[in-house]
Amino acid sequence: MSVASVEPIIRIEGLHFHYNPQSEHPIHAIKGIDLEIYPGEYLVVVGHNGSGKSTLAKNINVLLKPTEGDVWVEDMNTRDPANTLAIRSEVGMVFQIPDNQIVATIVEEDVAFGPENLGVPDDELQERVEWALGVVDMLDHRRRPPHRLSAGQKQRVAIAGVMAMKPKVLILDESTAMLDPEGRRDVLAAVRQLNAEGVTVIAITHFMHEAAEGNRVIVMEAGKIVMEGTPREVFSHVEELRALQLDVPQTTELAYRLNQLDSTFPPDLLLVDDVAAEIQRRVNGRSGE
Amino acid sequence: MNERPFIQINDLHHNYLRDTPLEVTALQGVNMEIYRGESVGIIGRTGAGKSTVVQHFNGLIRPRKPGQVIVDGEDLSDPKVDVRRIRQKVGLVFQYPEQQLFERLVGDDIAFGPKKLGMEPAERRERVKWAMEMVGLDFEEFKDRFTFSLSGGEMRKAALAGVLALQPEMLILDESTSGVDPRSRRELLERLLTLHKEHGLTLAFVSPNMEDMAGLVERIYVMDDGHVVMNGTTREIFSQPDELHEHGLGVPQVTEVAHTLIARGIAVEQIPVTVEEGVKETWKILNS
Repeated sequence: MSVASVEPIIRIEGLHFHYNPQSEHPIHAIKGIDLEIYPGEYLVVVGHNGSGKSTLAKNINVLLKPTEGDVWVEDMNTRDPANTLAIRSEVGMVFQIPDNQIVATIVEEDVAFGPENLGVPDDELQERVEWALGVVDMLDHRRRPPHRLSAGQKQRVAIAGVMAMKPKVLILDESTAMLDPEGRRDVLAAVRQLNAEGVTVIAITHFMHEAAEGNRVIVMEAGKIVMEGTPREVFSHVEELRALQLDVPQTTELAYRLNQLDSTFPPDLLLVDDVAAEIQRRVNGRSGE
Repeated sequence: MNERPFIQINDLHHNYLRDTPLEVTALQGVNMEIYRGESVGIIGRTGAGKSTVVQHFNGLIRPRKPGQVIVDGEDLSDPKVDVRRIRQKVGLVFQYPEQQLFERLVGDDIAFGPKKLGMEPAERRERVKWAMEMVGLDFEEFKDRFTFSLSGGEMRKAALAGVLALQPEMLILDESTSGVDPRSRRELLERLLTLHKEHGLTLAFVSPNMEDMAGLVERIYVMDDGHVVMNGTTREIFSQPDELHEHGLGVPQVTEVAHTLIARGIAVEQIPVTVEEGVKETWKILNS
C-alpha cells in the first residue's frame, strides 16, 4: 500500500515500559520502540514469550501507559486520562481465552453488551449486532448460549462483541492460540473479512504461518523491534529468526533448505502452492529438455 | 503383540450432567490400547472427546459400566482400586496450568507431590531440582518465585515439573504446550522425547497442532464426536488429508506440499511428515 500520503492511525514514539517501576526489581519490558501503523494495515507482531508483544499492545489501548515516550491514537495521547474512553472505543482488543471476554448468556446479547454501554440507540444496536455476527459467520448461532459453543465459535463471538463497538483498530492478542485448526481457520477468515472492510488489524501471534496473513510483520526481542518487513522478506531470514528463538513456516524452511542444496531454488517461498508450483516447474522443465 | 497394554480402554461411554436436561454426550464407545514405552497422539477438533478420554487414564473420571479402563492390569471400574497409586504411575498436565498451581512458591508447588509420597527433604530437593531441569526452569532462579508471578509459558513448565517430580511411568499432556513460544515448546518436547527414548517414559499427547505431533508420536488416534474415527501410524494418518479435513483437522505444511504435488501429477514415494523428510523427498523428486 502507499502510505506516504496517509496519516498513521497509531503513532508510537520512544516508548519504554517498566512493570513495577517503584520496586527493587522493575522489569523493563519495552526498551525504546518507534512505530507507525497506518489505516487499513494488517500488522503481525511476532516474538517469543516475554519479548514484549502483549505489553506493546496494551500500551496502545491504554490498559498500560508509557513509562517513557508517547503513544498516539489518531492524535489522542494515551497519557491524557480524558482520552482513555475515546481511545478504547477506537481500539478493540481480543484476548487469548474467549471465556474471559464473554459476559452474557445469549450470543446476541453478548455482542450487544459493548455498544449498548456506549449508548448506541436500539435500532442501530440491532443493526450492529447483525453486521458483526454476519462478518464472523455466527448469525445462525445468535440465540444460543455462548458456553455451548466450540472454542473457535466463542472466539468469533468475542471478536463480534468487539467489532459491534465499531473500533477502527482491532488488536488480537494470541486470539487463536487455544483454537483447533478449524477454529483458527474460521477466526482468521473473519479477521481477513474485517480487514477487507477497512479495519486496521494488529495481530500478535506465535504461529508463523499466521504471520503470512499480514502485509507487514514486526519481530520483537527483549522489548525492541529487531526485524520488520513483508512476511516474505522477514521469513527469508531463516537463521536470524532461529537465533531469536522463533520458528519459520515449514514451507519457508523447506524452500530455504532446498536452496542450500541448490542455490537456484528460491529460498523465500511462503505458501504451500508456491512451493509445489516451483517444484512442478522444475520437474516439467527437466522432462522438456 | 502379546504384551499386555499399559492402558486399555474398552467400549467407553461418558455423558456429562447425566440424567439432567443439560446432558451432553462426550464419549460413545471408545476403544484404545496404549503400550508401555509408546508415544501416542490423540487429535481431534474441540469437543471431540479427547480430554474426556485422557481424564479416564488416571482415574480422574471413573469408567461407567459396561465400559472398562484397565491401567497396568488394574480395572478402574473396581471401586477398591487405589487411585492414588494409579495417579503416581500416570501423570496428567492440563491445558490451563494456572489451574494446576496452588502453592505460593514455585519450589513448594513442585515439591508437593514428592512430599505427599513421604520423601525426605534432601531427596525431595534433588527431585524438584531434577524436575525443574527437565522442563528448563533454572532451580536457583525460580524456586523462590511466586507462582502467580510467572508468565503463561513458565506456569506451564512449572505445572509439568510438578507432575514429572512424581516420576510417573506415563505422562499425558492435554494441550499443555499451547501458549508456549516455539523455541521453549521445542525444547520441552525434546526433553520429553529424551525421557521417552532413554527411560521408556510412555507419552500421550493431546494437541490440535499437527506439526508438533509429527515429530513426536509414533501412532495417532483421531477422535470426532465421541468416537475414535481414525487410528494408525503417524504417516498413515497424515496420508489421508481429505479424511482429516472432514474431521476439522489438517496435515503439517510439508505433508500438504506433498499432497499438492500428487494432485499436480508428480509422484511422491513416501509422504513426508517432518521438514527433514520433506527436504529428502523433494530432493529425490528434483533429481530423479
